[in-house]
Amino acid sequence: MKRALVLFAFAALAAFSPAQDLVKQGEAVFSKSCATGYCHGAKGTNGGAPRLAARGFDQAFIANTVQRGVSGTAMPAFGTTLSRADLNAVIAYVASLNGVTNLVTNTSPAGAPAAKLSGDAARGRDLFSDSVRSFGRCSTCHEAGGIGIAVATPIAKVPADAAALKALSTPQVSTVTIGGESMPGLLVGKRTNALVFYDLTSAPPVLRTESPAAVQAREGSTWRHSSVTGSYNDAELSAILTYLRVVVKP
Amino acid sequence: MRIPAFFLLALLPLSAQDSGVTRNDWLHYGGTQFSWRYSALDQINTSNVKNLLPAWIFQTGDYSEYLGSTPIVSDGVLYLISASARVFALDAAKGTLIWQYRYPTPRAGIAGSHSDFIQNRGVALTDGKIIFGTRDNFLVALDQKTGKEMWKVSVDDPKQCGCNNLSAPLVVKDKIIVGGNGGDQAHRGYLTAFYAKTGRLAWRWYVVPAPGEKGNETWKGDSWRFGGGSPWLTGSFDPDLNLVYWGTGNAAADFYDADRVAAGTNKSKDVNLYTASVVALDADTGRLRWHFQEVPDDIWDYDSAYEVLLMDRQIKGQTRKVLVHMNKSGLTFVLDRATGEYLSSFNVPEVSNWMTGVTEDGKLVGRNEPVLGKTQSFCPSTAGAKSWNSTAYSPRTGFLYTPTNELCNDITANDTKPTEGRFFMNGDFPTKLPPNRTTYSHVDAWDPVTGKRMWSMPYKFVLVSSMLATAGDLVFTGDPEGNFFALDARSGNKLWTFQTGAGHRGGSVSYSVGGRQYIAVTTGFQQTVVGSAIVGLFPEASFRPGSTLVVFGLPEGSR
Repeated sequence: MKRALVLFAFAALAAFSPAQDLVKQGEAVFSKSCATGYCHGAKGTNGGAPRLAARGFDQAFIANTVQRGVSGTAMPAFGTTLSRADLNAVIAYVASLNGVTNLVTNTSPAGAPAAKLSGDAARGRDLFSDSVRSFGRCSTCHEAGGIGIAVATPIAKVPADAAALKALSTPQVSTVTIGGESMPGLLVGKRTNALVFYDLTSAPPVLRTESPAAVQAREGSTWRHSSVTGSYNDAELSAILTYLRVVVKP
Repeated sequence: MRIPAFFLLALLPLSAQDSGVTRNDWLHYGGTQFSWRYSALDQINTSNVKNLLPAWIFQTGDYSEYLGSTPIVSDGVLYLISASARVFALDAAKGTLIWQYRYPTPRAGIAGSHSDFIQNRGVALTDGKIIFGTRDNFLVALDQKTGKEMWKVSVDDPKQCGCNNLSAPLVVKDKIIVGGNGGDQAHRGYLTAFYAKTGRLAWRWYVVPAPGEKGNETWKGDSWRFGGGSPWLTGSFDPDLNLVYWGTGNAAADFYDADRVAAGTNKSKDVNLYTASVVALDADTGRLRWHFQEVPDDIWDYDSAYEVLLMDRQIKGQTRKVLVHMNKSGLTFVLDRATGEYLSSFNVPEVSNWMTGVTEDGKLVGRNEPVLGKTQSFCPSTAGAKSWNSTAYSPRTGFLYTPTNELCNDITANDTKPTEGRFFMNGDFPTKLPPNRTTYSHVDAWDPVTGKRMWSMPYKFVLVSSMLATAGDLVFTGDPEGNFFALDARSGNKLWTFQTGAGHRGGSVSYSVGGRQYIAVTTGFQQTVVGSAIVGLFPEASFRPGSTLVVFGLPEGSR
């Protein structure tokens, strides 16, 4: 993944031509991801981390550092967290701070543009991970579109409607008994000396590691998906399904 | 001549004494849940501290950043966590390894958020478990005996909130309570309590109230959604009152308030509740019992997130259950901890220009606020008159021991709009040295009741390591150059110093095994956030990173 991005950056260098738009776009990325006062500050001159402006950096050095990070410091490897378009833009911006005039810019990003979400799907995306609902949101247990905690396996099939979503069968959930207490449990691993499962008694699920001898697990459970969708009404669930249809790859 | 400890103890109510002091063990981040960082051990004292030598040294091997945690000691075993969450159980007398645990390298969160900072401030011990927070915002419990993982629960999604929890959790009866980083991001802060036995959620309390809840009316529009306030350090607990005390973080955005404070708001009343406040919550339910807002409309990044010291003191002839709390600005408040009533305050730093004073009922006077688009110098800096390292309190002297820095910063505010989970500070704030000084920090002793500074020991650079007070009438701390030193608790005279090889950013503790008293200190200087700002101020100095625990004791024959 990382190697592919680095190769891409060098391939891109050869094909670029100057574009002030890209620098401008890069400044926006920079102000969100790099310009906090803890880090490089506005225009890379004013923060707690090293100054970036007028350092004589060339574009290849900047591309490498931005993507790989600097180990032992808070400078992360942005190659794994920023989109290609944003990476190219922020590299171009930092290069411009260093007076690079023959800026090589990516005029035709190889990566597919992020899917434009319709109004209902965009609303569904916000609802899926709505922080106002605290743990009563989908992303407490599901990861989709890069957001959420992957407790459940990736969503493979999107239910037809809100009623189907609430009535989903959940055969993976077992009944786990420890020390006389029974609870709904999602088994994720069994080793000779450890049984690993999510305790679904309450949200958020708790990943527990227990000695197999101390645990009894039997198939089936009284747990229902509808018990964790209560913070949403049917219209909201429908919007979430619209969003999932965009991001879930069958 | 030293006054016997029991004589002085007799003058003070027993309950606070028992709750505040540590003896053989060091069971909590702040020593006890009263957060004094005070040990009743006195084998090492003012007359023999000059003989102190290393007993053993432990290198974590984790050189990804620094070592800033406070160890926990129980029954001869020391528990230590490194910056990237390697956890060690060590024989506290010999330093030999009992078990180790390595948290897997977490997936990246939001680039350019708190999840980029590699640090951990300590573990908690309860219910046979060692419990700690992680950079990807899980809370993890290990078996105290074996180091094997027992449970793990997600506190929040760092890919969305840009937040995590890296301070030592607080043990409160059958629960474990954590706050989180995120006060400088577009995020809405909270405290979360989990059951230690199962990892299940017990309660969550949001610092910023939602619409319909009391206090929400102190926020403009929907600014409450990303209002910050994250309580990012460790709180305290009074079992008699069954109250949990915590300091909350700054309002977000840090340096620009026009989107969160309605024009014409009276700032001598509470603004943007419950940010920059000390709060008391019911330990069982997490319900707010009382609050005291130290900085209404905090527009300087003056969190109230620091430790809360609980003590009983004679005030105007009456024994009062009080708490002492230093705001990041250095303004230090004494409150009645049963009711939240303001009793008094004193200002610790020497250089301070953000306000001119405090009224008799604890309201700020003469606010000097950043202005959009203008660059102005404000003191103390956002690194704090004190950073997150803790103060200490000795019941023998009655003094609060403070490591104070004299720094300023040039704040230029902007009006950038928030994006959830991204930094939402709305300003640049390069740290600067104040003019006309040759020293930029000092260790002080304060009588919190009178607000009088009893002594002060200056230091040329800055001090960002926690204090430790002991019944040997000693006060220990370390400096960024690597010196670990002991001061006379009554005079401030330096009695002993030892060069540990790397800078100090963590905490020291005292404990006893087999009749021998030990002092353990974490070394290795922070390279990011406040650490990097400090390194930039003193280019000629050498504040070295590392990750080593150094443990001192008196040699045989000299104790």
